[in-house]
Amino acid sequence: MSEKIILLVEDNPDDEALAIRALKRNHIRNEIVVAHDGVEALDYLFGTGVYTGRNVSVKPAVVLLDLKLPRIDGTEVLRRLREDERTSLLPVVILTTSSEEQDLLNSYALGCNSYIRKPVDFLQFSEAVRQLGMYWLLMNEPPPV
Amino acid sequence: MNPEKLARLRELCRDEEAFEQIKQTLADEIQQLEQENNQAYFQVAQQKALFRVITRIRECLDLESIFHATAIEVRQLLGADRVGMFRFYPDSGADDGEFVSEDVDPAFSSAMAQKIHDHCFGDQFAVHYQQGRIQAVTDIYNYGLSDCHIQILAQFQVRANLAVPLLQGQYLWGLLCIHQCRAPREWQQTEIEFVTQIANHLGVALQHAELITNLQVEVQERQQAEQAVRTINQGLQRAIIELQAMNKELEAFSYSVSHDLRAPLRSIDGFSQALLEDYYEHLDLTGQDYLKRIRAATQRMGHLIDDLLNLSRVMRSDMYLESVDLSILAQDICTELQQSQPERQVNFVIQTGLISQGDHRLLQVLLANLLHNAWKFTSKHAHARIEFGTLSTENSIPVYFVRDDGAGFEMTYANKLFKPFQRLHSTIEFSGNGIGLATVQRIVHRHGGRVWAEAAVDQGATFYFTLVAEDAAA
Repeated sequence: MSEKIILLVEDNPDDEALAIRALKRNHIRNEIVVAHDGVEALDYLFGTGVYTGRNVSVKPAVVLLDLKLPRIDGTEVLRRLREDERTSLLPVVILTTSSEEQDLLNSYALGCNSYIRKPVDFLQFSEAVRQLGMYWLLMNEPPPV
Repeated sequence: MNPEKLARLRELCRDEEAFEQIKQTLADEIQQLEQENNQAYFQVAQQKALFRVITRIRECLDLESIFHATAIEVRQLLGADRVGMFRFYPDSGADDGEFVSEDVDPAFSSAMAQKIHDHCFGDQFAVHYQQGRIQAVTDIYNYGLSDCHIQILAQFQVRANLAVPLLQGQYLWGLLCIHQCRAPREWQQTEIEFVTQIANHLGVALQHAELITNLQVEVQERQQAEQAVRTINQGLQRAIIELQAMNKELEAFSYSVSHDLRAPLRSIDGFSQALLEDYYEHLDLTGQDYLKRIRAATQRMGHLIDDLLNLSRVMRSDMYLESVDLSILAQDICTELQQSQPERQVNFVIQTGLISQGDHRLLQVLLANLLHNAWKFTSKHAHARIEFGTLSTENSIPVYFVRDDGAGFEMTYANKLFKPFQRLHSTIEFSGNGIGLATVQRIVHRHGGRVWAEAAVDQGATFYFTLVAEDAAA
C-alpha cells in the first residue's frame, strides 16, 4: 500500500505531529502530504500555486480534512473539490475537533465521505486513525481514475 | 264688522231691536271664529317650530347648539322673556345646578352661569319632576310658593314661570324653563303641551348625546388599548431581535469553544502519552504517575467542555413540540444502561403509555440524565430498583418522577442540586461534573415545567418534574 498517498490538511502543528505519530504508531507507512491551510490543499490537488507543475493525476487515496483552517476553511475546500470533476469523487474524511450540528450537516450536505471527531484522549485518537487507515487504504476501493 | 254690510243688514231688518240682536249674535260668532283662527294659526306655528327643533336634533349632535336654537325658537313662538335649559349637577340629588343655555329678551339679565342652590322643595322635589310633574306658575307672588323659592325666581326677575322636566331616560337631567318677566302670565294648555313636547324631544337628544359620549369614551379606550398593544408589541419585537442577536453570538461563541478549547487538550494528552511511550525508561514511577494524572485531568476537562456545550445547546436549540412517548424513551435508556454493565442487578419499573407534548430530543436528554444518575447512585448497592412513572394529582398536570433506592443526599443541600458544577458527592465516590441536573432543569424550564427532588441519605432519591406551565393548564 506504499503507493497510496494520504493528504492531511491540518494547520495546527501539534495536531499534525500527533496525527503523523498515530499513523506511524499503527504502522501506516504511506506517504503523508501535509497542507497547512485550504489554499495549500487546493494547490496540491489542482497543481496550482506552490504545486504548479505537479502531476495532478496522482491523487491521494484519502484526504483527511480539518474544518477550521486559515485562509480557505475546510468546508469551502470540500465544496470546491466536489464542484471540480477531477476531484468530485475523491474520498474526503472530515477530521476535526467539533461535533457541532451545523458542521456535521454542512459537511455531509457538501458530500464528505466520513466525519470523525478527534477525541481528546490520544489513545482513542490513535485507534480512530488506525481504523481510518485500515478502511480507506486497505479495504476501500477508490473511484476509478 | 264691515259697516257697509251692517248698513245693508239694517235695511233688511224691520225693527231696531231685531237688528241689534242679530248684530250681537253675529259679533259673537265672528269673535269665536277669530279665536279659533288664532288658535289654528298658533298650532301651525307650533308644529313648524317643533318640526324645526326635531330637524335640528336629527341633524346636529352637539347639545349646545340644539339647546340654543330650541331656546330661540320657543321664546319667539311663546313671546316669552326668557327660555333656558337648567341642568342639575350630577350627584347633587337635583338640589343644585346651573343654566347651560338660554335665550333672553335683552331687557332682562342673563341667567346663565349663575349657580342656583335649589333647596326649597325638599326631598320630594326631584321625585315629582321625575314622574313628569310640570310647574306652571302664573304669578310667583300669588301662587303659594315658599319665600325661599320666590327669592330664587326673583333673582332672575321672574314673574311667571313654566318649568318642564328634561328627562334623560329615567334620569332627571334638568328643567326646561319658560320665564315671563315683564308681567304675570297665564299659561295656556296648548302652550304647556307644546313645551312638554319640546322637552320630550330634548330628552331624546340628551339620550343620544349620552350614547355618543359613551361611544366616544369606548372608542378612545379602545384606541388607547390598541396603542398600548402596539407599544408592547414593538418592545417585544425589539426584545426578540436582541435575543436573536444574542443567540447568534452565543452560537458563534460556543462554536469556537467547541473547536478551539479542545485542541490544546489534545496536545497535552497526546504529548503526555508520547512521553510515556517514548521516554518510559527515563521516568521513575512518580514521573509516570504525574503524566497519567495530567492525562486524566485533560480528559476530565474534555468531558467538561463537552457537557457545557451540550448544556448550552439545550438552552438555545429550537424546540419542535410533538407527542413523545416518555415510557419508550425511558425503556430504551434503561436497556442501554443494563447492557453497559450486564452484571448489575437492577429492577427497572417503568410505567407504560406516558405520553407528553414536548421536544423529543430534549426529553431524551432529560430522561437520560435522570436515569443515568439513578444508575450511578445505586451502583454501590448489590440490588437496586429504579422507577419511572407519574403521580396522580388533583389538578390535571401530570407530575413525572424518577426514583431510585441508592445513595440519596441530604435535603439540606437540595437547593444546590440544579446549579451547574454543584455536586453533593465527591468525585471519588461517584464520577460526574455537576452539569447533568443543570441540564435537566433547563430542559424542564424550556417546557414551562418545574423540577424538584426528595431524598434521604442512603435511602434513595426521587426527582419530580412537570412539562406544562401550571397557570397555562389551569
